[in-house]
Amino acid sequence: MFYSPGCAACEDRQAELRSAAQEAVKDLEWLDVNVIDNMDTAVELGVITLPSIVIDGEVVFTSLPTRAQLCKALTVRSGARK
Amino acid sequence: MITIGKLAGLTSVSNDTLRYYEAEGLISPAGKSPAGYRLYDPDSARRIHFIKHAQQCGFTLAEIRDLLDVRSSDKACCGDVRTRAIEKKLQIESKIRAMKAMSKALDQLISECANEKRPVEECTIIAALERANGSKRVQ
Repeated sequence: MFYSPGCAACEDRQAELRSAAQEAVKDLEWLDVNVIDNMDTAVELGVITLPSIVIDGEVVFTSLPTRAQLCKALTVRSGARK
Repeated sequence: MITIGKLAGLTSVSNDTLRYYEAEGLISPAGKSPAGYRLYDPDSARRIHFIKHAQQCGFTLAEIRDLLDVRSSDKACCGDVRTRAIEKKLQIESKIRAMKAMSKALDQLISECANEKRPVEECTIIAALERANGSKRVQ
């Protein structure tokens, strides 16, 4: 998840979405990425709004999703990989 | 209260631009003179300087309108503005990256066209651009 420090909306939901993601997909690696320290990576991946959630190198959410939306996106991708 | 001409003079912005800002919802006159001319309060100059500076940082008028809303919101905090500034930087960096790729593509075309005296039908740049179009159509 790409976020900017000081973004109140990000801080409020970050932990909730992280735990939802980890419950939805076993062995999921979740990274909270401070965009200020990782500007090049963000630009390379096409992140232009904050917060954004990138899954397997693809920008999937350009604003905070609900738990259900995130879990669905993760399980669909996880299923496709198997 | 000041007239549009006076406001234009104070901010080095033309009357037409001020009317355009008004049409875009960025400024609004505080009232009208008995003769029907727009009158602005002196704080409008500050608002217009804000708009000009934001434009210089790459913000569009729609984004500036949003920034002005944030500026006057009691609930907003500096983090809201900072996030918008970071998003603008991301957009600009993305454009720079795209333009660098374009420049690199042009470098290659220019270097491949070593003989500028050839007739245009043998121009390697035109041939390469036609190939590029063709391959895009296939996709």
